[in-house]
Amino acid sequence: MSHGTAPRVSEARPLAGSSVRRHDGDAYVSGRIGYTDDLSLPGTAHVVLVRSDVPHARITVDVRDASTRPGVLTVATGRSLAGEYGPIPNAMDPVPTGGQPLEIHVLPVDKVVYVGQPVAAVVAESLAQALAAAADVKVHYEPLPHVMDPEAALAADAPLLYESWGSNVMLSGTVGSGDVEAAAARSAGVIHGTLRTGRGAPAPLEPRAYCADWDARTRRLTWYGTTQAPHPLRHTIAEFLGLRERDVRVVAPPVGGSFGFKNFGHPEEYLVCVLAVALARPVQWTEDRASTLRYGARDSRLAYTASYDDDGRVTSVACDMVANHGAASATGAFGMAFAGSLAMPSGYQVPDFRCDYRVVVTNKGPWSPLRPFGKEAGVLLMETVMDAVARRTGLDPLEVRRRNWVKADQFPYVTTTGLELDSGDYEGLLDKALTVLDYAAFREEQARARGQGRYLGLGVGFEVLPEGADIPGALIGASDISTVRMSPSGDVTVLTGVTSPGNGNDTAIMQIVADRLGVAMDSVSIVQGDTDICPFGFGNVSSRGILTGGGSAALAADDVAAKLRQVAASMLHVDDAERLVLRDGFVSVDGDLEQALPIAVVAHALYTVGYIVAPDVEPTLESTRTFRMRNIRHHADDDGKIMPFSTFSNGIYLSVVEVDIDTGVVDILRHVMVHDCGVMINPRFVTGQFTGGVVNGIGAALTEEVLHDPDGRQLSTGFKTFLLPRASDVPAFEIQHQVTPSPFTPLGTKGAGEGGVACTMASLLNAVNDALSPLGASITELPAVPHRVLAAIGGGQR
Amino acid sequence: MSTTEHDHSTTTRLSLNLDGTDRTADVDPRSLLVEALRDDFGVTAPKIGCATGDCGACTSRVDGQITKTCLRLAVSAEGSQIVTTQGLAEDGELDVVQQAFWDEQAFQCGFCLSGMIFAASELLAENPDPSEQDIRWAISGNLCRCTGYEAIVAAVRTAAARQREIPQRG
Ligand code: FES
Ligand code: FES
Repeated sequence: MSHGTAPRVSEARPLAGSSVRRHDGDAYVSGRIGYTDDLSLPGTAHVVLVRSDVPHARITVDVRDASTRPGVLTVATGRSLAGEYGPIPNAMDPVPTGGQPLEIHVLPVDKVVYVGQPVAAVVAESLAQALAAAADVKVHYEPLPHVMDPEAALAADAPLLYESWGSNVMLSGTVGSGDVEAAAARSAGVIHGTLRTGRGAPAPLEPRAYCADWDARTRRLTWYGTTQAPHPLRHTIAEFLGLRERDVRVVAPPVGGSFGFKNFGHPEEYLVCVLAVALARPVQWTEDRASTLRYGARDSRLAYTASYDDDGRVTSVACDMVANHGAASATGAFGMAFAGSLAMPSGYQVPDFRCDYRVVVTNKGPWSPLRPFGKEAGVLLMETVMDAVARRTGLDPLEVRRRNWVKADQFPYVTTTGLELDSGDYEGLLDKALTVLDYAAFREEQARARGQGRYLGLGVGFEVLPEGADIPGALIGASDISTVRMSPSGDVTVLTGVTSPGNGNDTAIMQIVADRLGVAMDSVSIVQGDTDICPFGFGNVSSRGILTGGGSAALAADDVAAKLRQVAASMLHVDDAERLVLRDGFVSVDGDLEQALPIAVVAHALYTVGYIVAPDVEPTLESTRTFRMRNIRHHADDDGKIMPFSTFSNGIYLSVVEVDIDTGVVDILRHVMVHDCGVMINPRFVTGQFTGGVVNGIGAALTEEVLHDPDGRQLSTGFKTFLLPRASDVPAFEIQHQVTPSPFTPLGTKGAGEGGVACTMASLLNAVNDALSPLGASITELPAVPHRVLAAIGGGQR
Repeated sequence: MSTTEHDHSTTTRLSLNLDGTDRTADVDPRSLLVEALRDDFGVTAPKIGCATGDCGACTSRVDGQITKTCLRLAVSAEGSQIVTTQGLAEDGELDVVQQAFWDEQAFQCGFCLSGMIFAASELLAENPDPSEQDIRWAISGNLCRCTGYEAIVAAVRTAAARQREIPQRG
């Protein structure tokens, strides 16, 4: 027992829940972080891609002239490589769920399916030489009819992108349960509607860059690049090249933003490997902005029928989703349609629900995974339905939501799409939001403003995000491995299979480990993103870096801590090692610093005098552990449903906008955000995820849209034609957190990486429509760019 | 595989004072300044996010003026004094804006930092007590895809407050 006067260790783990700074932030702000394109291996050859000018054609490529140009090392085409290399591996395969087989080659063998598709790769000593020679590659096109619109692509006589499929549907399916038609028939009212989302794009600030280096002597390939998933990528590169996995090393330098785009399955990831093997030297490719913007997402049409009763309860929802995937890709992006359907009916109790989805290919660039991975479709649908029911019943939109929400005491709650929602307090979110925004006062202000010819609107957006995915058959899992080791000087190294796209999960994992070992942050370092050094992991995907990377690091750190306790117990002559507390750099008996040893001394003792101080303790201060979410279920239930998601963070947003009805410009006046992602390891990092997501959502709702002309050419090829919101376009956000821990994670955390996008899209859509309601106008398509808003007003009462 | 031709696109000698050091390199006269800085001088703090002047990732200070270095040809900078974020720290000590960006977690992936940090520095040089709106306008020539700008605005405010408290260096 310690005495009142004795010096004691801190009461609580000092780092948990604290917003410590990025451990390597000084290197970032002083420009010393090396991203992939900042590397330059000696002897690197440079790749320039020749791209298709037409949306759909058979091609023959003549590279004879280009090959003779100065500095050119090789010019590859789909044909020149087809003999040796098959299609690239798919990150996810649609076939097991009844979809079509995907055969994506590093370069297309005989036909192009979108403008901008690479058709040849020129490799030269310098980038300038490669660029010059690329102009001499001659592509002969035998044009085929093209189709850009998914509904047109569904027509019986539509041109087929992939003839062997027999149609342009890559995958279709149905989720939900119950009988929506019967439910609608016995309900008080029925609503029909359509929602459309424009084509968005992930558009990280850093374009993709890949560099492969083949060592012909050791027959080993080293790959550096912008990837979220080093281990899965290594697996697929090895499979593609016919190498053993041990002969491929994937290194992921710091990444300049990903948002799903830099998961794996891009042809160029494998193309640089092929070229490096052929040339036995490092080969580098860095894309330009236009190339980055060829990869899109969303671009979906949701047609719905919802029924309700007079008390505002939604009795059924049926949704027909047509998703315009553009060209096929191996990135698993098609899964966004499935995830978007499963995310319905969100956190609402809708007894009868069905969503039929179809993923349709057209002659646009391919879909890319993009946060929140399609789930915005579910959120937009349900938030639109809630507002529509409010209008029909005359109830307040907030009240309609309260009446339909899953209640705080109903968790775990199984939705009609088969997801088991872990925990939540949705009404609590709204209550909190209303402490920030005086709802009644706003309604008065709105009425006053209308009297002055100003159109203010308030919109609600509520999201529940299924995250922490584990996809059967794919290298996307809800588990990860971490190693924690302590050196003789007490230095701690964490090796983990999760990677950071810049969100700071590395620092947060260090916080977790430092706390468990009772050491300061600067005693801990972390290694991520190198398959030769780090244990296997799924990288960063589906918001699970802290769940699984943090969870496994916590388990491993606990093992090392237990070992330190054992050794210290022996050194301090204490029988019960459980009495030892690791904190503030000391191992102490019951927290009493007068009976304590520095942790570094204990570590050193085990390494150097272990036979004396702890002869029975295995002398290793290292542990490798796996953490796996236990609420995933891959065996189908009686209904044929699986549970592929493990956490369900949620949030509610209230947006206040003013619509200028003469210009169609939407101005965001207030954006109140309340979020619940369970326990936050580093609240500032978490907030940063949400504010970033919100601005992604603002872009998707108001400004960002990839457009094409009727000839299939992409018009949005840079930041002048694809408008990301700037600081002056967005207001200061009013941010609140609610903490409802997940019962399934050791630290109570949930995913935090996808939040804010979907409910911002929904709250802005609803806010614009609230503003337009006195005009009898409404929009059903995002982004709400001025011409769409004006068209809606024109179609209203005016 | 060219054997007969040689591409000796003539290079031009370019001399700069780069982050406080006189440097010389042979550059392709067609190079953008950002390309020369990165590829020929090996200073990679300026990034290429667009090459069209829209994102600001390539920003450096050229002869005292913050400049999107993708909008200038390298040869036009002959004899210039160029400072990148790599050269902002004095004796390894971060300047007040860099420090505030770190303390306020004003970045995630960090790719936008050159533009944001220089824009903030320029604002604070002109206006020691900027309003929220001033800050948003000052950084609006730069794009950030990760942070939602909120933390960047906070960092600029913090830097301004700290700068007002401490007497200017030198
Ligand atoms: S790279 Fe210069 S502004 Fe984007
Ligand atoms: S931090 Fe990633 S672009 Fe700003």
